[in-house]
Amino acid sequence: MIHRIWWRIAWRNLWRSRRRTLLTASALAFGFVASVLMIGYMDGIVEEMVANGTRVVTGQVRIHAEGYEPERSIHDTMGGREGLDVEALLAAVETRNGVVGAAPRLYGGGLLSSGDETVGGVLVGVDPAREAAVSRFASALVEGRMPAPGEIAMGDGMAETVAVGMGDEVVLVAPAADGSTGNDLFTVSGIFSVGVGALDDSYALLEMGSLAELMAMDPGRIHEVAIAVEDIREPEPAAAAIREAVAGIAPGLRTEPWSIFQDQLYFMVNYVGAVNVYVAAFIFGMAAFGVANAMLLATFERRREFAVVRALGTPGGAIGRIVVYEGLLLGLISLGAGVLLAAPLMVYIHENPIDLSRYVGTYSFAGSAVRPLLTVEYSWAGPLASGLALVATGIVSALLPAWRAVRVPPADALANR
Amino acid sequence: MATNAATRSAADRAGPDGPADHAVRTEALWKIYPQEPRPVEAVRGVDLTVERGEFVAMAGPSGSGKTTVLNLLGGLTRPTRGKVWIDGLELSALPDRKLAAVRQNHIGFVFQSYNLLPMLTALENAEFTLMLQGVPARERRERVLRLFHEIGLEGMEHRRPFKLSGGQQQRVAVARAVLGAPALVLADEPTANLDSTTAEALLDVMQQLNRDKGTTFVFSTHDPRVMKRAGRLIRLVDGRIAEDVVRGGG
Repeated sequence: MIHRIWWRIAWRNLWRSRRRTLLTASALAFGFVASVLMIGYMDGIVEEMVANGTRVVTGQVRIHAEGYEPERSIHDTMGGREGLDVEALLAAVETRNGVVGAAPRLYGGGLLSSGDETVGGVLVGVDPAREAAVSRFASALVEGRMPAPGEIAMGDGMAETVAVGMGDEVVLVAPAADGSTGNDLFTVSGIFSVGVGALDDSYALLEMGSLAELMAMDPGRIHEVAIAVEDIREPEPAAAAIREAVAGIAPGLRTEPWSIFQDQLYFMVNYVGAVNVYVAAFIFGMAAFGVANAMLLATFERRREFAVVRALGTPGGAIGRIVVYEGLLLGLISLGAGVLLAAPLMVYIHENPIDLSRYVGTYSFAGSAVRPLLTVEYSWAGPLASGLALVATGIVSALLPAWRAVRVPPADALANR
Repeated sequence: MATNAATRSAADRAGPDGPADHAVRTEALWKIYPQEPRPVEAVRGVDLTVERGEFVAMAGPSGSGKTTVLNLLGGLTRPTRGKVWIDGLELSALPDRKLAAVRQNHIGFVFQSYNLLPMLTALENAEFTLMLQGVPARERRERVLRLFHEIGLEGMEHRRPFKLSGGQQQRVAVARAVLGAPALVLADEPTANLDSTTAEALLDVMQQLNRDKGTTFVFSTHDPRVMKRAGRLIRLVDGRIAEDVVRGGG
């Protein structure tokens, strides 16, 4: 009941110097907007990096045979040399909550030749129908289509190196699982450009059965299942569910989220998160000095009033509370103004990202193509954290003025000493 | 000094009875401000007893220690030496929190420059002490409105201080001081900023409250009108009681 009067006094005090309050609130509100946009922008970069790093080839979760990495020997297939029931494995994975799609893969290495040109490359046996849900190969086709049996799709860099185009033939030579060397003729069915130089220069896709035949491997032998999940930033829950689901299908399967197999990317994501915290702390730290200064000034101007309420029997704690309430209310006013400013700006920049690639080009980092887009990502975390930081700034900025107000000596202040 | 009233020393007034029997009692009260080049002795060994229901004026030239004595009696500053009892409670021994409670429940203040809280209305200013005392809202309003009616502030309840005249502001300050039913009201030059008519009206109000409710008033003043109305006049010179005259009535 009595608290209401302290809130009322705090609220009315704020509006006694309207200009100062509006200026201070504006500073905090702009700090909030800067923090929200900056975090949204960094989130956008991270989102793009994770998307590019995991949607191009790997997916967000993958299953291998234990020991496949890092050697990636062609013999280390899932389920051992006997292989496993691939359809049963895929069915177990695809029925898990949060799984978008799963694609089996067979990997090999070999030489591609056409005429006088030869290039070494990574040969990937794929199920074209399933691949589209997991990787960008299908959507990145600049010409043609995914390979049918006897066909090959390759990156544009590789196609340029061996000087082939659609419908041309290439000779593939690859070491086989039985110790022999497989070789065969394949027709170019598609050329893709995923935007990551290392992939476009050295990856070639074949229909799974064609590559298995070239490498003398049984149909049940695959090296990997690449899986796309809904929450690409937090794949661990889906990975745990998949791990549990596939445990009974074959022994020695290793299920990993991208945070394990894309450790550089994971480091970068965490690094950006940490930078966000420090930048927000810096923004609000600077704002706190301004707010504290304004509140100290206001406290000094009201020394006499604090002395009067002390004389009337108000405990020191209540006087401190008035000033802290002022800081809290200032924070809330600033938050309201900040939200009104930040929301339309976020929507506008999100809907109309500024493409800076014409100035700086594109680049890849940790296997991820990065498009220099000035955009912001929608999320609750950034605005929520910034909002809490803003209100906390209001309160923390009020602590020193509150302490000063509590320590006003009534007799001296009443005598204007 | 020629006077037709009885004059007694402070020692006489202390008497043999305990401090609980008086509205105010001080014993060998000193206040020394540490200053360069020499400490200032603002109050020098004041022994004072004020009975309940007295209407006391403290007069003296500027710098004689009037305001400091009031601050000491009100617990707004602590004595360098000596003791103060208000309503039987010894202030000098109390921690800040308890001192605040004593001010809240036993002492009312009226200041020379009104010192109403500018962000509150007249009614909210007047009920401030009642609120601190935890009096329910309805009762607070009733008590404030009744007193406002008695002291001619009807219709001013919702005005902020800057929309009140000096006299009206000082009456609100008096209402604020007495509504909490304190044993003692300390008024520091309450008429100094008022014209004659307003000052007389304000003194009427305070005298009426003194008479009707038995509230003890102690003023510091230069104003002859206040001195004339006081039942007891104490003159301070250089921080000491030079004269203590009881005139009866008041």
